[in-house]
Amino acid sequence: MGVNEQVLRMGPRKALVGIVTPAVEAAGAGERPTVVVLNSGIIHRVGANRMSVQLCRALAGQGFHAVRFDLSGIGDSEPREDGLALLDGTLADIREALDTLEATRGCKRFVLVGLCSGADHAVVYAGRDPRVVGLVLLDPSIPHTPRYYLNHYARRATRLSSWMNIARGKHPLWQALGQRMGGGPAAEEAEEGARADLDTPQARAFLSQAYLAAQATGNHFLVVLTAEREDYHNYREQLLDAFPEVPFGDRLQLEYWEDTDHTFTPEGSRGRVVERIQVWLLAAIPG
Amino acid sequence: MNPFFFGTRQRRLFGVYTPGRATAAGAGTRAVVLCAPWGQEYLRAHRSLRQLGALLNQAGVHVLRFDYFGTGDSAGEMLDASLAGWEQDIETAIDELRDSTDAARVGLVGLRLGGTLAARVAQRRRKDVDALVLWDPVMSGEAYLRELLVDAPARAAGLSGGGHEVMGFALGEAMAAELQALAMPVQELPARTLVVRSVQGPGEPLGDLAVEQVEGQPAWLEDHHSGAGAVPVKVLQRIAQWWS
Repeated sequence: MGVNEQVLRMGPRKALVGIVTPAVEAAGAGERPTVVVLNSGIIHRVGANRMSVQLCRALAGQGFHAVRFDLSGIGDSEPREDGLALLDGTLADIREALDTLEATRGCKRFVLVGLCSGADHAVVYAGRDPRVVGLVLLDPSIPHTPRYYLNHYARRATRLSSWMNIARGKHPLWQALGQRMGGGPAAEEAEEGARADLDTPQARAFLSQAYLAAQATGNHFLVVLTAEREDYHNYREQLLDAFPEVPFGDRLQLEYWEDTDHTFTPEGSRGRVVERIQVWLLAAIPG
Repeated sequence: MNPFFFGTRQRRLFGVYTPGRATAAGAGTRAVVLCAPWGQEYLRAHRSLRQLGALLNQAGVHVLRFDYFGTGDSAGEMLDASLAGWEQDIETAIDELRDSTDAARVGLVGLRLGGTLAARVAQRRRKDVDALVLWDPVMSGEAYLRELLVDAPARAAGLSGGGHEVMGFALGEAMAAELQALAMPVQELPARTLVVRSVQGPGEPLGDLAVEQVEGQPAWLEDHHSGAGAVPVKVLQRIAQWWS
C-alpha cells in the first residue's frame, strides 16, 4: 500500500504537530469523515505499539483521510501559552486541530478515535462540536456499577487470599457493600489503582452529560472494552448500566473483548481492532 | 522546530529539526543527530530525547532527531526494516543535517540500540562524525537479543516474516540474525566520545573509553504505568553540558 504521509502543523500558533495520511483512493474520500486519532496518556502520536500509525495507514487504504497528532505538551507539540486548565486546553487543542483540517484540507466531518484518556477526551469533546459525527472509544472511563462489583468479587472469591480476608472480616466486598448501602468508608481505597474519583456523583454526572451531548449531536459510537481493565470495567453492558439515561439506541456498537490487553499489544489484537474500526466506519457512518 | 520528512521516496524518514540558540562564543556550527532505541524502548524514550534536544539547543547545538524506517512516523513496517538499513538512515540524517546547517562535521548521540548503531556509523564516517555520545548503549547484540526474546511469543502462523513478537513489535528472523551478530565497535571511534551509564551495575568495559556513571532512571523503561519513560534530568544535563 502506498501511503504518502505529510506533516501538518495545526492551531493558530502551529504548535500542534500532526501527521496526515491521505486517502490512497481519493475518490469518495471527500464525502467520508476524516478520522482523527488522539493521544493515549502521554504516549506520543504514534500510539502504543505504533497502533495509531497502523490504524491511519489502514484507513487511508480504505479511502479515509486519517490524522494523528500530539496534544499540547505531549510528543512534539509545544505547550499552550494561554494558561488553560488541562482539560480545557485539551479540548481547545482538538478544536484547533479540526479547524486547521477544515481550513487547509476542506474536512467537514470527523470521527475521533481514542484509547484510554484519548477515549475520554473524544467523548467529552464530541458534544461540543457538531462536526464530530462518530467516536471510536477504546477503554473509556466508565463508573463502577453494582454488577461490576458482583463480577469483581465473585472472581476474587476464588482466591485463597480473598477467603482469608473474608475470614478476617477485611474483605473489600463487605466494605463495598457497606458503602453501597449508604455507610462505611470509601471501599475503593482498598482497591489497587481503582479510579475512585469516577464514582463520585460529580464525575458520574460529568461523564453522563458528555455521553448525552455526544449522543444528542447525532454521533455514532464504537466502544471496545478490554478484559485487562478489570479494575475499571468487567462486562460489556457496564457502559449502559452506568449511563441508563443516555439513549444510545442503534447508534452504539458495544463490545467486550476477553483475553485482550489494554493497549492491544499482540499483533493479532491490534490487527483485530484496526479491522473492526474499518468495518464499523464503513457500515455506521453515512458517506 | 521543524517536523518534516526527508530521505528518498522509497525510504521516507520522519524527523524533527530544532535549531541551536545563537551563542556568543562563535564556536562554529555544531550539529547533532539523535539516534533512538527500538521498540517499546523507543516509545518510552521519546520524551527524554525531545528534552535532550531542547537542552542541546540551549547550548547552541542544532539537533535532528528522527525515526528509523519502519518505526515511529517514518514510512515502512518493521518487517521491511533491517539494522543495515537503520545505519543507512543515520547516514541519511547526517547528510540532511549537514545540508541544513552547513556544519562541516556532526556529532551523534545514541541511546541503547541507537548507541550501538551510532558507534558503527561513526566508525565508518570518521570524516563526517567528530563526536559521539553513547548513552547506555547495547554492548552485545547477542545478549540484547536474548533479553528481547525472553517470553516473546513466536509470531502467529500466517503472519509473514517469521520471528517473534517482542512486546508488540515484530522482530523478524532476518533482523534477529543481524542482532545476533551485532557488536559494539570499540576502536576507531571519534576522539571525542562520551559513554554515559545511568543504570546501576558493573557494566561492560568499552575499550579504553572511560564510562561515566550518572544517577538517573532509565529513560527507556516504563515509569509508573504511564506508557512513557522517566526523564532522567541529570543524564540529559550531563550530555548537554559535554557539548557546551
